[in-house]
Amino acid sequence: MFKFAIKNMAIKKVKIVLIVISIVISACVALLAYNISEQVDDGFKSTAAYYDIIIGPAGSSTQLAMNTMFFTDKPLGTISYEYVENLRADMRINAVVPFTMGDSYNGAKIVGTEPVFLEGRALSDGEMFDERFECVLGSAVAKKYGLSLGDELVTSHGLAEGGHAHEQNPLRVVGILKQTNTSYDNVIFTAVETVWATHDHGGEEEHTQEEHEHEEHGEICAILVKTKSFNHYNAVKTEYGADASLLVINPSEVLREVLENVDMSSKIVYILCIIILIMNIFIISVITLLNMYDSKKEISLMRLIGIGMSKINMLYILQNGIIGLISTVLAFAASRLCLILMGEFVASMGIVLNSSKIYPLELAIMALIFTISVIPTVVCTLNMSRKDGLSD
Amino acid sequence: MIKTTNLSKHFQNETAIDYRDLVFEDGKSYMLLGASGCGKSTLLNMIAGILSPESGSIEINGEEMSSKSQKEKDKFRINKIGYIFQDFKLIPEMTVIDNINILKLERVDTSAADEVLDSLGILDKKNKKVKHLSGGERQRVAIARAIVKKPDIILADEPTGNLNFAIGEAVIKQLIEISKGKTLIAVTHDERLGKYFDCTIDMNEVTGGRRDV
Repeated sequence: MFKFAIKNMAIKKVKIVLIVISIVISACVALLAYNISEQVDDGFKSTAAYYDIIIGPAGSSTQLAMNTMFFTDKPLGTISYEYVENLRADMRINAVVPFTMGDSYNGAKIVGTEPVFLEGRALSDGEMFDERFECVLGSAVAKKYGLSLGDELVTSHGLAEGGHAHEQNPLRVVGILKQTNTSYDNVIFTAVETVWATHDHGGEEEHTQEEHEHEEHGEICAILVKTKSFNHYNAVKTEYGADASLLVINPSEVLREVLENVDMSSKIVYILCIIILIMNIFIISVITLLNMYDSKKEISLMRLIGIGMSKINMLYILQNGIIGLISTVLAFAASRLCLILMGEFVASMGIVLNSSKIYPLELAIMALIFTISVIPTVVCTLNMSRKDGLSD
Repeated sequence: MIKTTNLSKHFQNETAIDYRDLVFEDGKSYMLLGASGCGKSTLLNMIAGILSPESGSIEINGEEMSSKSQKEKDKFRINKIGYIFQDFKLIPEMTVIDNINILKLERVDTSAADEVLDSLGILDKKNKKVKHLSGGERQRVAIARAIVKKPDIILADEPTGNLNFAIGEAVIKQLIEISKGKTLIAVTHDERLGKYFDCTIDMNEVTGGRRDV
């Protein structure tokens, strides 16, 4: 029967290829929409806010939080490193981590900070940066540019590609972070002092005044603070918040606001996913029914020569099952290919898409697509079996 | 032996055909003649179990057909009856041999296919697609598919209807030759072919045509 099913499909290859393409496109859209919405949501939620205060120059609180936690967007500007020294001397505070950003390597942002910023994040290779001009790479950066330990990176000024190259002060790779599928995979980490030293060279006339503003010695973009208690948190926040040149935020609060917006977006995406899925069910059912309608003459012929309806049922279930299976597998492969192709675009928003990530509901969607490519066959052949062979 | 008793068939256009009782003996060939609509093809379809009569009975080799379920009728047809259709009922995109091997879906032995195709003079067309064959060749493929399973009964519904007389006559000769020892019932309009059959039945006399119900 399998051999005959294949032969019978082969004589309708153009039609079957078109059916498969139709199912693959609609199923791929459903899988992709669901997977991306889930991964974006996971990406936000997986970045835990350990620090309870972030201090930066006055501006947008969302921009400050997103820049320091997800490395997206540009820094708000710079503040003096003296704030870090003052905070470190403050007995109410547990941890103070400076954060600066302003250079890049082929578009990958370079974060100037301290090793403690990467505490809890494992290295897949090498060690943490310690000396000046040493750096640790995010896993995606290392993979994308084929970088390994000991390689030297000539960074460029600014966060976009094509800035002034810091050829005199290349960074040496001493460590590579383990892949986490978070925004940390896309960034290069080095010491704050390295960022300052990189800019401590001649040729300053090449920089505009605006570009130069945030890179002077002793300037940083933000400070991440962990206080000892809730009372201390309130006191420190109020104290530094009183300074009009500073913006003091609680990253958890800002993240919650962002997540609420993301959550709303997710709900919209879910609704769209459901609509897409319903459309897919309809489209695939119609395609399968039309395919069966085209086969009516053939089924009638088989019935007239004495082939039983159970055999005819099995033959068409087998044929449509093969079409459904091939379409489902191709739709899955196409969705993963799209994830890989879209990865770079989404990475710029601080989210790393993992093409190997499969959600249980995706398997359910694939099972549903397979089922709806077979069920109309059963309905159609059962309907035909109630009539005599001459009716069609 | 095929025996029909008090057969009657109703149609959706509210007409009916009542059949006089008939007996078809084993190993003989019968030609059913008659005007269009007098019930020739309907009789063949009822014998084959494709259509069910409203009343009466059809007994084949002692087995009562009207008491069988559709599944049993299908099984009987695939095993015992070779049916040749006027419009061939072949899948044009498939090859000659694949059109015969379609019977394998019901585990019918088609190992004699080459021998049958050879006897019909179309063995060289075995791997050709049916759509590339002439009308006469297609009819021979339909005959080959009907007889490859060595049925006891061969039913042919206007086997020469789509062919010119010369080709039709050749097909009938081959059909008679290949059906020797079996019961052959063929429907045709062409009285000139009657000489090849053991018996000719005028269906106009058997049914008296259609009547309103």
